[in-house]
Amino acid sequence: MNKTPWIWVSAALLCALVVSLYLSIYYYQENLKYQQLYAEALKELEKYENYIAVNILIDYGNGTMTWHNNTLVPFGSNFFTATMTIAELNYTKGQYGIFVTAINGVGGDPNHFWIWYIWNSTTKSWDWGPVACDAYILHDGDILSWVYTKF
Amino acid sequence: MSINLNLSTKELGFIAVMTSLCVGSNYLMLSIPNVKFMDLFVFVSGYLMGVIPGMLVGFLTWLIYGTLNPYGFQLLIFFATSLSETLYGLAGGLCARYGFKVSDSLSIGDGEFWSSNMKLGIMGFFLTFIYDLITNIASAFMIALPPPRAIIVALVSGIPFALAHEISNFIFFFLCGTVLINTIGKVILKGGE
Repeated sequence: MNKTPWIWVSAALLCALVVSLYLSIYYYQENLKYQQLYAEALKELEKYENYIAVNILIDYGNGTMTWHNNTLVPFGSNFFTATMTIAELNYTKGQYGIFVTAINGVGGDPNHFWIWYIWNSTTKSWDWGPVACDAYILHDGDILSWVYTKF
Repeated sequence: MSINLNLSTKELGFIAVMTSLCVGSNYLMLSIPNVKFMDLFVFVSGYLMGVIPGMLVGFLTWLIYGTLNPYGFQLLIFFATSLSETLYGLAGGLCARYGFKVSDSLSIGDGEFWSSNMKLGIMGFFLTFIYDLITNIASAFMIALPPPRAIIVALVSGIPFALAHEISNFIFFFLCGTVLINTIGKVILKGGE
């Protein structure tokens, strides 16, 4: 055994071959795995191609405020349908559009109303909703709020 | 029917000591998966005491460590590992029997010492390669896939563990093989019959 150093040199090279073979197979498999994950992620993203993201605040008027950031809604949705996806609503249909009477069971107190606002990024303040909530078509990145207000 | 292993008291004592060393070191290194001194100890046992004691050390170690294992007990894996571990004892015994000489010199300036280390390292690597191949194929029978695909899945998913096992064993055999064989060999001689 000791007389033939070349056997040991060959054996050492074989060890290196085994290690490189292992690494090649392992990284090839990893490559396949991540390619598949990437394809799945792309497919998943395709679903959201026709969606926009909006941020909605609900202020219950008693100090409780909940943010629903990055709420995904189909392109062309109005604020009413967007709110429907994040909260339970009671509402009435009037001459000028939908009037929300309660959000998540909060509403109906005397002289209290649910008013909606839109964030004005130029003036850095909340503006009153210009139309009824179901008449306002959302844009990607809109920041809106529902505030339970006493008059 | 009885199997006569013809083991002397000295051999029995050696097997017991080496087995407890293997089991103890295995539990100590439990947190590092597939990196264990056990394989080297089993090889050394085979080299110093012969094929049967070496194989017995490997088998008995797995009999304890495989049964009382915090990672769980699987009968098929238990058989595969217990029998595959004997490979190190068998190889150690055959190396000694067929004239594989481990350097007597423990001087780090001696070329013979490093050559002996390298040979042991290579041997440790290949023995571990065979061990991993057998145990990975055995674990394929626990995968709910058709056999050829299950074997491929088991072998590929076992690559990181096999790499850790084989490289660590190369290092252990390379760094400690010659030293252990000489040191334990001298202890055996001192306590000789």
